Amino acid sequence: MEELFKYIPFLIPIAVIQLALLASAVVHILRHNSFRFGNRLMWLIICVAVNIIGPVLYFVIGKGDD
Amino acid sequence: MIRQFQALSKKEFYESAATFRLYILLAVFLLFGMLSPLIAKATPDLLAAIDTGMVIEMPEPTALDSWTQFFKNVAQMGMIILVILYSGIMSNEFSKGTLVNLLTKGLSRSVVILAKFVAASIVWLASYLICLGTCWAYTIYFWGSVEISNAFLTFAAPWLFGEILIALLMLGGTIFSNVYGSLFTCFAAVVVLNAISLIPKASRYNPASLAGGTLALIAGAGEPSQFIPAMVVGAVLAAGLVVATIEVFKRKRV
Amino acid sequence: MNALEIKGISKSFGQKKVLDDISFQVPENCVFGFIGANGAGKTTTMKMILGLLKPDNGTGSIIACGEKVAFGSSKTNRLIGYLPDVPEFYGYMRPKEYLSLCAEIAGLDKKSIKGRINELLELVGLSDANKKIGGYSRGMKQRLGVAQALISEPKLLICDEPTSALDPIGRKEILDILRQIKGKATVVFSTHILADVERICDRVAVLNKGKIALESAIGELKVDRKSKSISLEFDKEVDADEVARVLASKGMAPAKCEIAERSIESLFLEAVK
Repeated sequence: MEELFKYIPFLIPIAVIQLALLASAVVHILRHNSFRFGNRLMWLIICVAVNIIGPVLYFVIGKGDD
Repeated sequence: MIRQFQALSKKEFYESAATFRLYILLAVFLLFGMLSPLIAKATPDLLAAIDTGMVIEMPEPTALDSWTQFFKNVAQMGMIILVILYSGIMSNEFSKGTLVNLLTKGLSRSVVILAKFVAASIVWLASYLICLGTCWAYTIYFWGSVEISNAFLTFAAPWLFGEILIALLMLGGTIFSNVYGSLFTCFAAVVVLNAISLIPKASRYNPASLAGGTLALIAGAGEPSQFIPAMVVGAVLAAGLVVATIEVFKRKRV
Repeated sequence: MNALEIKGISKSFGQKKVLDDISFQVPENCVFGFIGANGAGKTTTMKMILGLLKPDNGTGSIIACGEKVAFGSSKTNRLIGYLPDVPEFYGYMRPKEYLSLCAEIAGLDKKSIKGRINELLELVGLSDANKKIGGYSRGMKQRLGVAQALISEPKLLICDEPTSALDPIGRKEILDILRQIKGKATVVFSTHILADVERICDRVAVLNKGKIALESAIGELKVDRKSKSISLEFDKEVDADEVARVLASKGMAPAKCEIAERSIESLFLEAVK
């Protein structure tokens, strides 16, 4: 347990970024329904299942044009 | 000209925000800034946790390990993300034809290229500085203040390499008008640069070493003057690529 | 003075000769219809007027509003407004943001930008539209396209097939806008829809196989080729034979008299009213 406390200064901000990415990606997916490929359900699963990389992947290659 | 430049670079910043490119870059690089010292610090503990019965003697991690991680992350994943996010910088305009309206209003073609390059450079600089600042702060937090020799030269090098990549993407996008052309040009150039670094005599001047190769400087090993030729070549290369892009664009049918 | 003078321009793409020594003039403040089948070279001609394409070496000249057009240079572009056949915008912008980008690029006076934008949005009927352009219909984009083309109050407005991709209502709206512009600027527009030409043009040029096949004022055209038919419209249903009989009794027996079918266009406009 003590070992873990050492990493608290990292874990909190990383968790914040991760949640912010996840939340913005999910909101974006729910509000837009155009994707370069795949569909809404697929991207939701990817974003929720794969930490950090999922939402980044969505914004980089999954998001359709407006 | 100056007003056109202002108007277009404003549009570029607005676009990076509206397409989430800006936020993704900032978030990812902030993350790298945190992960680098974390990985350095946690590696021995992680290895200990996977108790295989073997006794692995790990030296206590140092600040240098943190910086090693920093250069590795920025030079590999960081650059890949930068390249993917900016792969459409020119080709999106060409494939949709969005520049036609602006060019027929008297927008100068050189301004298009310069504004795009400058706006992308500033976003890249901001992301890089955030990453660097975070990593620096955590490194000091864990290992106390660390003397860094030749800090400016060392840290400017990966940024400069990113600039070369952005210029390559723009040149490729202008020549081929599509994302794949951009990515291919960038990839091919990096392969060529890395091939050149196999020649011992040339490696001193090779910008490929800028991505992560100046690490030795932090450790205090190596002379800064050894890296200056590569920096100069890199800066000239980036500027040359931008000029080449302008020239190609001036001859291009829109 | 002529708003546009084209003298002896040719253009080939590879082996294919698209334009073969064409010449025509557009007088100031008229609506000029540039007619031709798809692929006749209309867009090519327009792109050369804008300096986006280079005419074949050593051939002719293009003079717009008294200044010579040079390829790759944007000097004459401040005098010319251009509406591409399918205008493309940045989907993430709103109309006002886009027009203000255009205004700054065109070098408009900072203070006058806002007023000018409101004026144009009023003209094209987009005053209340404040959504992102990405979600607009073709018709709305075309109208925004007219607004962006007019931002710097050009003397010459060039529209490439402005109505071809639109439904009848969208077409009517665009034609109405173009008619309003007449008097403030010279309008050159290409089309293959002859009904549009009849509605608003003063002069026409017909482009066929890379050559100008016909160029004339609409009025002259009609006088030159006097029509032998007349169309009548009654408030109530009438019998065609009876009309013919009445006319014959006055010594004007028609060669042909039949009830006209209602045009699909008028039916459509009525149905979606």
